[in-house]
Amino acid sequence: MAYKFYKDNREFIEALKANNDLVTIEQEVDWDLEMGAIVRRVCEKKSASPYFKRIKDYPGFEAFGAPLSTYKRLAIAMGMNPDASVPEISNEYVKRTTGDPIKSILVDKKKAPCKENIWTGKDADLFKLPGPMVHDGDGGRYLATWHFVVSKDLDTEFVNWGMYRQMVFDEKTMVGPVLPFSDMGKMFYGKYVPKNKPMPFATVIGCDPLSGVAACAPSPIPEDEFTGMLMGAPVELVKCETNDLYVPAYAEIIIEGEVIPGIQIDEAPFGEYTGYRTSPREPRTVYRVTAITFRNNPIVTVSNMGVPTDEGQLLRSFSLGLEMRKLLESQGIPITGVYMLPESTHHLVVVGVRPAYSGIASQIANLVFGSKLSPWFTMVVVVDNETDIYNKDEVIHALCTKCHPIRGIRKYEQAPGTPLYPFADPEERKWSRGSQVLFDCTFPLSWPKSDLPIKVSFNNVYPKEVQEKVLKNWKSYGFKD
Amino acid sequence: MAQKEYDTFILTELSQFPEDQEMEMIVRNLMPADRRYKYRSFYATAMISKSESKYPDRLWVRLGRGQLQEKPWSIKIIKEVNKFG
Repeated sequence: MAYKFYKDNREFIEALKANNDLVTIEQEVDWDLEMGAIVRRVCEKKSASPYFKRIKDYPGFEAFGAPLSTYKRLAIAMGMNPDASVPEISNEYVKRTTGDPIKSILVDKKKAPCKENIWTGKDADLFKLPGPMVHDGDGGRYLATWHFVVSKDLDTEFVNWGMYRQMVFDEKTMVGPVLPFSDMGKMFYGKYVPKNKPMPFATVIGCDPLSGVAACAPSPIPEDEFTGMLMGAPVELVKCETNDLYVPAYAEIIIEGEVIPGIQIDEAPFGEYTGYRTSPREPRTVYRVTAITFRNNPIVTVSNMGVPTDEGQLLRSFSLGLEMRKLLESQGIPITGVYMLPESTHHLVVVGVRPAYSGIASQIANLVFGSKLSPWFTMVVVVDNETDIYNKDEVIHALCTKCHPIRGIRKYEQAPGTPLYPFADPEERKWSRGSQVLFDCTFPLSWPKSDLPIKVSFNNVYPKEVQEKVLKNWKSYGFKD
Repeated sequence: MAQKEYDTFILTELSQFPEDQEMEMIVRNLMPADRRYKYRSFYATAMISKSESKYPDRLWVRLGRGQLQEKPWSIKIIKEVNKFG
């Protein structure tokens, strides 16, 4: 059964407009910092998405900023009530992505809008696209900030869609980090490079919103099929012009080419998902362009990583947390939920649990830190079932009152990490070494019941009839809320 | 001929950066004839000086995290180096 979904960015833009969550900017904006600054301020103020109709130097091109930087936009993208709560969106996401994967279907080139314009050879020039200078001080123009890169395993049919940032170097060259533990990193550095073979790639810019969600998600299911599960319908793909990869037919812009072994070029600095420019400028993976295809009047998508909240933080937190939920549930741990705070830049995950036995918090941390996704989790906070994991105030209260400053904290050293951690020293960044920590915010089961502190809250320390009386009379007392 | 402007990222200690000798480096063009090509990077063989006036073109210096230095240096680009054949 197909859910309500938007087959392309254009339908999604209309949906945001219908929900008063879009600002259409008719006046010309400059791709050189102005557009980035607008998107940054939108992220920080949680404002409506900006839709740029006129870009300086690039007539005929448009841009769409902060496409999925709020839960409201995620709810709209999933065809849900825009006011759906985070637990409601989470449950719907888990329900849709727990069934059978939905295979994509192939469409003819003539039916694929992304083939309306085709540039090859000398015409395939990256500077003909309005790549924004996102932040002052970045190492270059980042054409790919909200996008995904398609790549295929050398020996199997495994295809990956992943968000790997790409900086424009020259007319034909992009460069960006491909971390060795990532899916594309394992394919390129593990298989293509040892054989000195270039790896075909296709960068998809301006995809439908659910393909973007899937590309962010750390699921083991191939992302195109995962998108199909979110849509309840197959994704329509079309073959690239210069390689054998397949891309969404309704995407705005496709950049095709090869990832080149044996050479690296300096990339960065860049304002990153942590809210800092952390990772050093250093030699990184090189992409050479062979073709660019695009729709008429293409719409470039622009995300702006920085202090919370941008779509990378929101969606990675959302999907990483829910992958951990699936993992912990699959192991029979009596959790009540998992929530990763977007404001933590997907570093802190809160796990709610019924503390059924001693050591349960350590067991949870061992599973989270032992998972394939562990570099993205630096802090696990385990709370009991009287704490609402979605309520930041309650989580902070539990952290500061239930977690013993010595016995409640367990450190995990020599963990895999990333060069993007702001807290890591230069040597740790260089070798992608991480550290992790568990905050156990459950009271020990060994304590006598009579010694357990009692939470003092409206819901907890008044008889039901008193609570009901107060709630019933609240407005007549004179309160407006 | 009008002065051109470039910038580069320097990751070593600025005081120890060598001047007045040919070296290969990556620079970005800040004043291309076609503005769409602003920030185009390229490898160049060049001579540089911390003096703003020694060489014909201006070179702005940024540190590893993008910090722009207050005073520009100067650069003479001898040739662009193509790394991709």
